Amino acid sequence: MKEFSYERPESLEEALQVLGANGSEAEILAGGTDLVIAMRDRYAQPKVVVDIKHIAEFSPSLTWDGDTVTLSPTATMSEVVADEGINTHFPALAEAAVVVGSVQIRNRATLLGNICNGSPAADTAPPLLAYDATIVVAGSEGTRKIPIDDFIVGPGRTDLREGEIAIAIELAVPPRLVGSAYERMTRRRGTDLASVTLCATVDDAGVTQVAYGSVGPRAWLKTDETGVLADPAASSEAKAAVYEEMFVDASPSVRSMRASPDYRRAMLRVLGARAVGRATERLQKLQGVS
Amino acid sequence: MSSDGIIGSSPNRVGGRDRVTGAQEYVADIHSVGELHAKLVKIDESRARIVSIDTTKAEQVPGVRLILTPDDLPKPMPRFGPQYQDRPVLAVGTVNYHGEPVAAVAADTKEAAEEAADLVHVEYEVLPEVHTIDAALDPDAPLVQDPSLRPGEPLAHTNIKTEINFGWGDVAAVEGDADYVIEREYEFPMITHFAIEPHGFIAEPVDDGLNVWSTIQHPFQLQKTLANLLDIPLSKMRVFAPDPGGGFGGKQHPKLEPLVCYMALKTGKPVRLIMSLEETFQAVRRPSTRVRVKMGLTNDGDMVFQDIATDYLIGAYVDIADRVAEKSSYLAAGPYRVPVVKIAGRTILSNTTPTTAFRGFGVPQITWARESTLDEAALDLGVDRFEIRRRNLPEKGFEFVPGDTPADGDWRQTADKAAELISWGTPLPEGRGRGIAFGIKSGPTTGLSYSTVRLLADGSAIIFCGTSDMGQGARTVFAQIVAQEMGIPIENVNVIMGDTATVPYDQQTSASRSTVLMGTSVYRACKDIHGKVRAMAARVHETDEAEIEVDGGVVRMAGEELAITDVVTAGLGALGGEVIGNGEMRKDKVPGHPLAGNAAFFEFNCTAIEAEVDDETGEIEIVKHVTVGDVGTALNPQQVQGQDDGAAIMGLGHSLMEGLILDEQGRTRNLGAIDYRIPTSKDLPTELISASIENHDGPGPYGVKGVSEGSLLCTAPAVGAAVRDATGLVIRDLPLTPQRVWEAMREQKT
Amino acid sequence: MSETVHIEATVNGRDRAFEVAANHTLLDVLRDQLGLTGTKECCVVGECGACTVVVDGIPMNSCLMLAVEIDGRDVTTVEGLAADGHLNALQQAFLDVSAPQCGFCIPGQLMSAHALLQRNADPTIDDVHEALGGNLCRCAGYLQITEAVMVAAEAGRQ
Repeated sequence: MKEFSYERPESLEEALQVLGANGSEAEILAGGTDLVIAMRDRYAQPKVVVDIKHIAEFSPSLTWDGDTVTLSPTATMSEVVADEGINTHFPALAEAAVVVGSVQIRNRATLLGNICNGSPAADTAPPLLAYDATIVVAGSEGTRKIPIDDFIVGPGRTDLREGEIAIAIELAVPPRLVGSAYERMTRRRGTDLASVTLCATVDDAGVTQVAYGSVGPRAWLKTDETGVLADPAASSEAKAAVYEEMFVDASPSVRSMRASPDYRRAMLRVLGARAVGRATERLQKLQGVS
Repeated sequence: MSSDGIIGSSPNRVGGRDRVTGAQEYVADIHSVGELHAKLVKIDESRARIVSIDTTKAEQVPGVRLILTPDDLPKPMPRFGPQYQDRPVLAVGTVNYHGEPVAAVAADTKEAAEEAADLVHVEYEVLPEVHTIDAALDPDAPLVQDPSLRPGEPLAHTNIKTEINFGWGDVAAVEGDADYVIEREYEFPMITHFAIEPHGFIAEPVDDGLNVWSTIQHPFQLQKTLANLLDIPLSKMRVFAPDPGGGFGGKQHPKLEPLVCYMALKTGKPVRLIMSLEETFQAVRRPSTRVRVKMGLTNDGDMVFQDIATDYLIGAYVDIADRVAEKSSYLAAGPYRVPVVKIAGRTILSNTTPTTAFRGFGVPQITWARESTLDEAALDLGVDRFEIRRRNLPEKGFEFVPGDTPADGDWRQTADKAAELISWGTPLPEGRGRGIAFGIKSGPTTGLSYSTVRLLADGSAIIFCGTSDMGQGARTVFAQIVAQEMGIPIENVNVIMGDTATVPYDQQTSASRSTVLMGTSVYRACKDIHGKVRAMAARVHETDEAEIEVDGGVVRMAGEELAITDVVTAGLGALGGEVIGNGEMRKDKVPGHPLAGNAAFFEFNCTAIEAEVDDETGEIEIVKHVTVGDVGTALNPQQVQGQDDGAAIMGLGHSLMEGLILDEQGRTRNLGAIDYRIPTSKDLPTELISASIENHDGPGPYGVKGVSEGSLLCTAPAVGAAVRDATGLVIRDLPLTPQRVWEAMREQKT
Repeated sequence: MSETVHIEATVNGRDRAFEVAANHTLLDVLRDQLGLTGTKECCVVGECGACTVVVDGIPMNSCLMLAVEIDGRDVTTVEGLAADGHLNALQQAFLDVSAPQCGFCIPGQLMSAHALLQRNADPTIDDVHEALGGNLCRCAGYLQITEAVMVAAEAGRQ
């Protein structure tokens, strides 16, 4: 690992000053599960590493306020998995967070880091898209709130600008009843990077959303406005046509070692149906239908 | 023979305490005063001509003490290898595989070494390379090894290193006798060992010699290699081999130790090279293979002939690859009575990581092909897939390879046990299937193991032997033998290994040999002590030696039993001292034998699998995994189970998920733990049963045979057969990833 | 020379104050600076778990942490499990069921298991597989390791 200096700001203001002063030569350290590897492999060679875990404003890491949960940059995957409210209202997020790496990784890796890192395979991106999360970003000119769909840009890229810090993810419990589920495809049952990630939500108005990732430069969110996917009476042909349309943005790389494009496309359809099925079951439970 | 007491029990592992406290010292944990840290310089190509190496910038990094390039080494470049002297200390002229070191840096700190290695500028010209069997065999293929490296070899102008031919009878003459003939081709991928301890080496100049620490399995072979290369007498070439953190064959033979020694000699300082996991991947692998199996059977399923040809894709240097090919091909026809057998094999050089020994020594590759073909034949013939195997098993004592060691066990017991444990023949739910396969591997064909046992005045004992305990538990079983034969508690036995200046010579730790060969040596050292104790007892008790019997820890004379330790304490008298016993186990070469010697024993295994296949995703769930081995005697049942469990799961690894992935230029893409997948605790079968058959009929002490490799010999064909049973899919390449199974399902539907 | 940072941390129950280089991982410092070589280095990408230590009760990969991050925190390594030379129940169970073969992964397995038993005294086998799922073993096939954790849990409940 190349040499760098270590900064540990205790306030957001201080952190923004450090970032402002160092521009692209600063890297933010939260969980470090990606950054430390990148520095060891010399992909990242920052002059300054800014550890944001001691910033007063970021504690507590997870706060419920009415129907909104706010997760600070220090909220780890393990904390997400353990939170009762998230399991109740955003079960697909808990399902995605619990398969990120091993226990050791989840104890360090943060939810915001998973998004800010910009990996197309980020497990939590599809559920956060499907739950319409908002990313709160702070910079020297104040804060801005960005819908996650706009925040995620491409491999390793987000809407985060130089000198800014993503300071929170906000998730609001939807006003309607929503069932949701997360599915992924891996090479083994143990920890693995997914070759397909997918989250489905079905609401009580018959609107189905499918967000999917790891099959192109970024994760995508699609909505079935036709109501076909949520309709138990719809034919499988009709559903297949809707899925085809939804997965049109999938562009899996032929260079991937994890799975072939054909397999990934096929698994999108399989996982899509499975996730929609499980989401529908959950919706029915919420509706009190047995 | 006494098998009560300590033999057949499972005392705490000798060395186990240090393994649970963190006190166990592995090579990377050892430091020398004034040591330098080494880092390899590599280029990202599998074959390239080195034009120049510019070290100017690297030399300016503070703390850099040496940048060793080929110019700093003797000319011609020193070469070494266990079979051929073909591996250079550093790449000379060309890089011949991805990751071959072209230079090396030594510096005061790891960071400085890394920084400098990064700054060494290597100018090179990419050359055409070969990394597949077909490409290497193309008449226009570039030669991996210059013919000058292969003097006198008839195939020196090709990429074929060696051609192998074994067999008995004439296939053409009996082909007509078969009711049914099947011919199939199966492939097996490149696998890497992935010992959790990456390889590491330290060399320290001392006086007129060298001390070397290595993760090596064969310290005496390393000692000899280094002594020859560096012209140092064996007595001054001291190799320390701390217990390796897993070996599996990957740590058998010298790799980068010569380089580190030259660096130490050049700087006059200790130099340590602790490799990364990625670098370790670039140092060792299992050969990939393509096996063509032709088999003739009667309608009842009796074997008429087998004709098996195997291509082994080996690396740029041979390492032990020819031996792997010979030994695995030799038993290619399996544990069966086959009247006529024809075996051919070729080792094929390529610009890939040199292939070496790996648990099973080539047998898993061939077994995958033979057993899977046999399964296909059984289905065609309508013969039960278990019965077709069982009926062809030889009786104990039958020379199933003419002129060689006869079948050394009642193998039907093993087979029947496996069938029983998997409930063979009972109905299964939809989507599930079962498979069963048999595997066999020769134990060692030659060997030489010395040992010394010192029985001390207080009745405790020290064993000195050159086996490497890399997890198989050799220390424990040797201590059990001495505890049994001296009649002392195992807690009072100490086992010294891993230092060529302290322990007597041992040829190697491989081929599941140590309990049988070194175990016999240790047993004989105990017998040597027994003889001395008998003389001592005769003197002390003024009795005729012929009236005294010493065995199993006791001295019997005049109708009474005395503890050996009591006799020794009395016999040694006031000055104290000790009784020293020496043991030797020699298994000499047999002139004219194709493998230079017959098998000391066979590892015979039956593996049975019940699996469920997800018909949408192709995922395989192993519901039940049964492995049964004929072990002779389970000297330590807990350790036998550990070996069997471990080998079985390793077998599932190459069956379901493992494989090195090379790009179009022959560069390994999945270096390291992120994209080379081995099984985790979450990938275990729902149920795994490791069972043993014990008839106390092995050649080692107390009737022991070798274990350690049996349980992965036939995992893949058993899994493949279960998948076929569940789905009807015939898949002839590994690993059986979800994608591969899904692709086969898709093809099946069209 | 890299920036050094003064840190204070509790390591295996002992309060320590020392300087660490900013660019050294916790694994580097444990092994090379504090001489705690029981923590092992293998993959250095957080996949194998050989470097697992417990920080404030939580298992983490020390290869993916900067050493400066333990400032003010409590770190337990494998060397901290045995008290006064007496193996704890978990270590004893590992020894009794012969869970360690080569032993290289064992410190990491022990630390993951230790953290599991601290928060769950009555784990199921699936809990153990999940908790130790980030600790690769190439020798033993995990069964005896799992058995050891279950035995230790049982012993701990008595």
